[in-house]
Amino acid sequence: MSDLHLDGNGVAWLLDLITGAEATTTLRTCQACGDRRALGDHRAYRGAGVVLRCPSCQAIAVCIGIQQDHLTVRWHGTLRVELLPEDIPGG
Amino acid sequence: MREVLRESTTARTLALDVPDWPGQRAGQHLDLRLTADDGYQAQRSYSIASAPELEWLEITVEVVEDGEVSPYLADEVRPGDRFEVRGPIGGHFTWSADEGGPLLLVAGGSGLAPLMAMLRHRAARGSDAAVHVLISARSPADALYGAEIARLSPAAGLDVTWTWTRAAPEGWAGPRGRVDAAMLETTGFDDRAAARCFVCGPTPFVEHVLDLLVAGGYTPSQIHAERFGPTGT
Amino acid sequence: MPPVSRGFHGRRRPDVDPARVPPGQYVTPDFPVLSAGPTPHTELDSWSLQIDGAVDEALRWSWEEFLALPAEPVMVDIHCVTKWSKLDTAWTGVSLDTLLDGVETEADHVTAWSDGGYTTNLALEDLIGGRAWVVHEYGGAPLEPEHGGPARLLVPHLYFWKSAKWLRGLTLTSADEPGFWEAAGYHNHGDPWREQRYWND
Repeated sequence: MSDLHLDGNGVAWLLDLITGAEATTTLRTCQACGDRRALGDHRAYRGAGVVLRCPSCQAIAVCIGIQQDHLTVRWHGTLRVELLPEDIPGG
Repeated sequence: MREVLRESTTARTLALDVPDWPGQRAGQHLDLRLTADDGYQAQRSYSIASAPELEWLEITVEVVEDGEVSPYLADEVRPGDRFEVRGPIGGHFTWSADEGGPLLLVAGGSGLAPLMAMLRHRAARGSDAAVHVLISARSPADALYGAEIARLSPAAGLDVTWTWTRAAPEGWAGPRGRVDAAMLETTGFDDRAAARCFVCGPTPFVEHVLDLLVAGGYTPSQIHAERFGPTGT
Repeated sequence: MPPVSRGFHGRRRPDVDPARVPPGQYVTPDFPVLSAGPTPHTELDSWSLQIDGAVDEALRWSWEEFLALPAEPVMVDIHCVTKWSKLDTAWTGVSLDTLLDGVETEADHVTAWSDGGYTTNLALEDLIGGRAWVVHEYGGAPLEPEHGGPARLLVPHLYFWKSAKWLRGLTLTSADEPGFWEAAGYHNHGDPWREQRYWND
């Protein structure tokens, strides 16, 4: 019996809301195993809220509580957020 | 809603006009939200199967017997009906012809939809990027976009292989059954490091194919996967 | 009010007594599988259930010992915070009153913990008085892994995230310690009849 998880692409709308921009391409370095993978590649589990897990070691990457009018978000690991030239501080 | 087309015995393609749509990349999806007159809402994600170059959007809905949304979209909706649409969504599972190939596309059932957007985009741009496609379908009656794929296939650099898990066409001499290592070897690229793989379909299909690709010498960072599952969040 | 989708009704919901449906819920004939992580698969010969923490003496049962405990059929309605309710679900399990029989404690709180790392917290009083079980069968057959097998907690008077799947232990605590979803903004108690879904409800 296979698990019924999805992936970061399948919960992209949630991730985009949290980061304020397209999030599935964002790279995350796992706090547990050190692998660096795109959020779109992370496995996504639906419980009361949504949990994203590292595709290499299954450690929890993001835990998202979905409440009536807000989200409660716990991040783990390190994200790499690419800057566009116009956003680079100090130019 | 512009039009509903019969795509296979169990699937329908819906053509949608979305005002102020910003355009999408091939592989992205949209969220559709339906509201009943008592306020009850249901939301589903659908890959955009049409090329970004097309002036409207097309999504392909696989009808789930006794489903809450798919039978409604397949049988009830009429041109002129209105829905809420959010998108385009997803940047990781996308391809642009500018990025070139080689690409290995592996589709399971309705997972062909976002990959079809990539093939349609490739054709619209006149790209000759090397693209090899492996499609797993139950039977010809269930196959999506069969005629169009047959028309596209002779294009330079494009190679399509079908495998049938339940019933193959009359006189079929090609692959049968579940995707296996041999099929990926045949449809893959000798220069593993140069290829990008896009895999889409139900979660068990995707996990199976990912295991095979990694065992076959592709690294996880070259592989993009999109898993389809029961009901939206 | 968003645009109404002409002709959309949602799943035709079976005729049910509205008194059985908590506020904001809808009844489903399905049994959706929800989880915070991959399904664990624990070999029965390494499985155990324990009651520990603020107790005079910790208790522990192997699978055989657990099956030897008096079990009873349980038919209850269950309610998920994601808004679906399923009526008349049939389980077989051991009452928490049986498991806690003889346990000496000053503690008022319990953390239920599971294979895979899931936790949820409950008041001890929510587990006693015939309101909670550790169940190992659903619909007359061994509980499937995707629904929490080999054994899960069943506390039907609270939202179903409190009914921890893949249960391995109950730790009694003096202080209330929010579990996995409670720490992610869900209600500490979780009474569906008072619609206690989220932290500030």
